[in-house]
Amino acid sequence: MVTIENLNKFYEIDGQKQYVLNDIKLNIQKGECVILKGVSGSGKTTLLSIIAGLDKPSSGKVLVNGEPISKLPDMHLSAFRAEKIGIVFQNFNLLDGVSLLDNAIVPLVAAKVGLKEAKQKALNALKVANIEHKANKTPSELSGGEKQRGAIARALVANPNLILCDEPTANLDIANSLSFIQTLKELHHMGKTIIVATHDSLFEELDFKHRVVEISQGLLVDS
Amino acid sequence: MRNNSFFYFLTLNLLKEKRRFVGIVLISTLLIFLLSSVLFISSSIKTTLNSSLKAQPDFIVQNIKAGKVAPIKAEQVDKIVNIYGVNKVTKRVYGRYFFDDKYSALIVGVDFLDEQSSKKLVKIMNSVDLKSFLSKDNMLVGQGVLSYLKSHYYATNYNFLTPSGQMQKVNIFKALNAKSSLISNDMIIMPLELAQKVLGLKESELTDIALNVPNDSEWSNIKAKLESLNFSTRVVSKKDMKKAYENLFNYKGGLFLVLYLIVIATFSLLLYLRYSLASSLERKEIAILRAVGWSIKDVLELKFLENIFLVIFAFVLGSSLAYIYVFILGAPILKDIFLGGANLKQFATFTPVVDYSVLSTIFIVFAVAFLGSVLIPVWKIAVTEPKEAL
Repeated sequence: MVTIENLNKFYEIDGQKQYVLNDIKLNIQKGECVILKGVSGSGKTTLLSIIAGLDKPSSGKVLVNGEPISKLPDMHLSAFRAEKIGIVFQNFNLLDGVSLLDNAIVPLVAAKVGLKEAKQKALNALKVANIEHKANKTPSELSGGEKQRGAIARALVANPNLILCDEPTANLDIANSLSFIQTLKELHHMGKTIIVATHDSLFEELDFKHRVVEISQGLLVDS
Repeated sequence: MRNNSFFYFLTLNLLKEKRRFVGIVLISTLLIFLLSSVLFISSSIKTTLNSSLKAQPDFIVQNIKAGKVAPIKAEQVDKIVNIYGVNKVTKRVYGRYFFDDKYSALIVGVDFLDEQSSKKLVKIMNSVDLKSFLSKDNMLVGQGVLSYLKSHYYATNYNFLTPSGQMQKVNIFKALNAKSSLISNDMIIMPLELAQKVLGLKESELTDIALNVPNDSEWSNIKAKLESLNFSTRVVSKKDMKKAYENLFNYKGGLFLVLYLIVIATFSLLLYLRYSLASSLERKEIAILRAVGWSIKDVLELKFLENIFLVIFAFVLGSSLAYIYVFILGAPILKDIFLGGANLKQFATFTPVVDYSVLSTIFIVFAVAFLGSVLIPVWKIAVTEPKEAL
């Protein structure tokens, strides 16, 4: 599903290469749940961004479903993101002033789905994320946990195979974090491939099959 | 081809930021309104001046005495008629009559029995019964004169004070056609002999003599011949009149220029603000759209449609309001600025004239600058990796 080969990401400061990711090699199977673990600044968010095509690697290759996503032109990469990848961000990144339902529609607009179908899909996604009762509320009217559910619904709306979560519980309390993990479990059972970048210890005791991959200073410690 | 979900999202976006967009539309509308108003006024003035110039004779022959224009002897008409190449020689008697310090009107004496003189007035006179009109001391008055006289309780006649100190009673026969008020608003038309009395001219005296020379190439020859009629003769050609009009208009044009500069400065400020706002407020929104699968083209298309809607709305609203302000309400305030000079007081209302080429130029410049100020920063943000803005 996701193959990472000799991936490097570095910034040049005063002629010196500062590595954020150093020679990463990783293979993630379809339907697998991978927890990318590491302290802040270890490089896990950057790795996730590169897998999502939101950032470009300095060198190396990332294949998602066999597609070298970092080399895809914008039009293809965008379409790929809209249809094949769902992303849940740490700070939710919902559009302000727009209802949860309309937030969930946004990826489908890019995928050129008709309005009626898009609304139906968005409602289904909100149902899966257990937030359909707040469909008409805007992000400013919601709690952190509710926003997170809205973000999950948006990530699921196009029915992608790959779900990427970046520090999904960082802004949630324990109850909401546990609820998120429960949703993650359901997604796993649905056969989705899940990659979670987190430093939250709650993810160390998941009660479903998963693999923990640790990153430290841009290097994979265990895979 | 975009589907309905795209346009649904476009509408959502417009409604979401309605406060910001209303502010932008209001300022843009105001600027377009000002520019269009000035444009409408200048087009109307130009057209009116050109049409009134068209109606002018090719030459006017005057008599100069001690450096001032003095009455000319009517016998000169016979000499002019005999010059080969000259036609439509017309006796003219006119002068400004000051009712009080603030109001004056132009008295025009017409030889109604002379075909050339009366023909020119057909447009501004409502079917006047000439027989009845010439039977007494009657006058035709413009709408402005009529309302002045009525406000001073002269509903049927007026006693003119002649230069010799005598009163000359003249009946108000009819008002001139309201449609022609642009040129006849402050005009009084009366028979030539009556005008001579009111203006203090003898029967043998005229204000000037008008004539036409159909062959343009003969203008300089004819002018020389006219000037040689008498050492005190002054000949004014249509070209001279055009220059005089242009000078007057150019002087007024300075005010237009100042207004244009103010509008352009304000517009630049608006664009700068729009540019800055795009950078700070839209950065995150664009990054989110990109992250969930929108391409650069999708984002640019959304922003283009969003803003072209604002541009068209502001332009249509601004130019329509300007049209109403200038041609229906008569451009209060701006009219005083541009037509404050006594020489242009004849403009009571503006003839509706729309210069589409200039109007479309304003639209194109406005639209290009406005869209540029939005789309350039949006493009800059959109091409940046979304991660940077999230």
